[in-house]
Amino acid sequence: MKITRDVVLGLYKNTGTARVDADVAASFKVGDIIQARIINPTGHTRLPRYVRGKQGRIATDHGVFKFADSLAHGGGNQPQHLYSVRFDARELWGGDAKPQDCLYIDLWDDYLERAE
Amino acid sequence: MNGIHDMGGVHGYGPIDREEDEPVFHHAWEGKALALARVGLAGGHFNLDEFRHAMERIAPVQYLSISYYERWLEGTLMMLDAKGVVSAEEFQTRLDELSKSSGGGA
Amino acid sequence: MTSDNNVELRVRALESLLLEKGLVEAPAIDEIIDLFENRLGPQNGGKVVVRAWTDPAFKARLLANATEAIVEMGYDAVQGEDMVVVENTPEIHNVVVCTLCSCFPWATLGLPPVWYKSAPYRARAASDPRGVLVEFGTEISDEAQVRVWDSNAELRYMVLPERPAGTGAMNEDELLALVTRDSMIGVTRAQNP
Repeated sequence: MKITRDVVLGLYKNTGTARVDADVAASFKVGDIIQARIINPTGHTRLPRYVRGKQGRIATDHGVFKFADSLAHGGGNQPQHLYSVRFDARELWGGDAKPQDCLYIDLWDDYLERAE
Repeated sequence: MNGIHDMGGVHGYGPIDREEDEPVFHHAWEGKALALARVGLAGGHFNLDEFRHAMERIAPVQYLSISYYERWLEGTLMMLDAKGVVSAEEFQTRLDELSKSSGGGA
Repeated sequence: MTSDNNVELRVRALESLLLEKGLVEAPAIDEIIDLFENRLGPQNGGKVVVRAWTDPAFKARLLANATEAIVEMGYDAVQGEDMVVVENTPEIHNVVVCTLCSCFPWATLGLPPVWYKSAPYRARAASDPRGVLVEFGTEISDEAQVRVWDSNAELRYMVLPERPAGTGAMNEDELLALVTRDSMIGVTRAQNP
């Protein structure tokens, strides 16, 4: 598509959400304790190293979103639930962190497994 | 990928350098570099996730040495080459032509 | 490494090729630059914050469904498609980072400042937010909770800073002057009058 001035003016009205209107079952619900998977993909992922293998709690279910790890490699949307997951700062960074401090990060279903 | 871009928790980068009344772009080419990346995205030549992954694949030493919008430019070039829109050879030829006509050695 | 002169030439080379191939027209490039330089920016987010400070019903809508409330104010631009607004209070201090790249709510705050995209901030905001806040001159009590939001997916986060004390009689323009970009990232508080 040729990008004209009119196309750009359309950009001011957003370029479309990554949210997908699809009926996909959620593997987790708010309050569930999860563990971020330990992965070492050579491709694209939005699961940073510092949360891999760490336990957190599902804070919000954002709904169904396109999956970045797939889209970066021509793999299609692979729509799945995306959650805001809360991790205690001490779980991520050890005992020097304040016990009440925490970090929220958005993680797709495929990044998570149920914690024991 | 376990790349240089995955910075959360890394030590040794020093204090945060801030600028008062920072302009949106520090050089005219920065706005152009952003615009050309948006053209690639809006034109459907590559998607945002492919673009982010291209920038992650910039070699670590270079990733840290070049500025933010240089990463955008290099990511855009990588994607346009990969998608067959502007080949690396074609780009180099044009760069050489411009370099000669501007009298500089690129 | 590449000098500015070299990168300027590289940008020009790519621009000329895209124009020549008919993939873009020159006015479109100018329009994109104008969009980011003049129309998207923290002035938009500031107006959202002031409205939330002065209109309790709007604030409730903003915290419940930020995307809809922000679109309602007309800020429905790129990188604002799915927004979350988190509220700073005396007990809870929120701060936003993108550790993996530079994700930022363009629709309300425009393009991020250089420091937000820099390695020192991306590296330390997640692991040492209290230390980072001190660098920005923001003291957080030992009792308060610090919440870091790593915007790694396609949701974009903005902080609703606390309304400063002693601003009860101020009009909207006066309040707007107190809302800084940094206070909507959460590295500082709104300015005191």
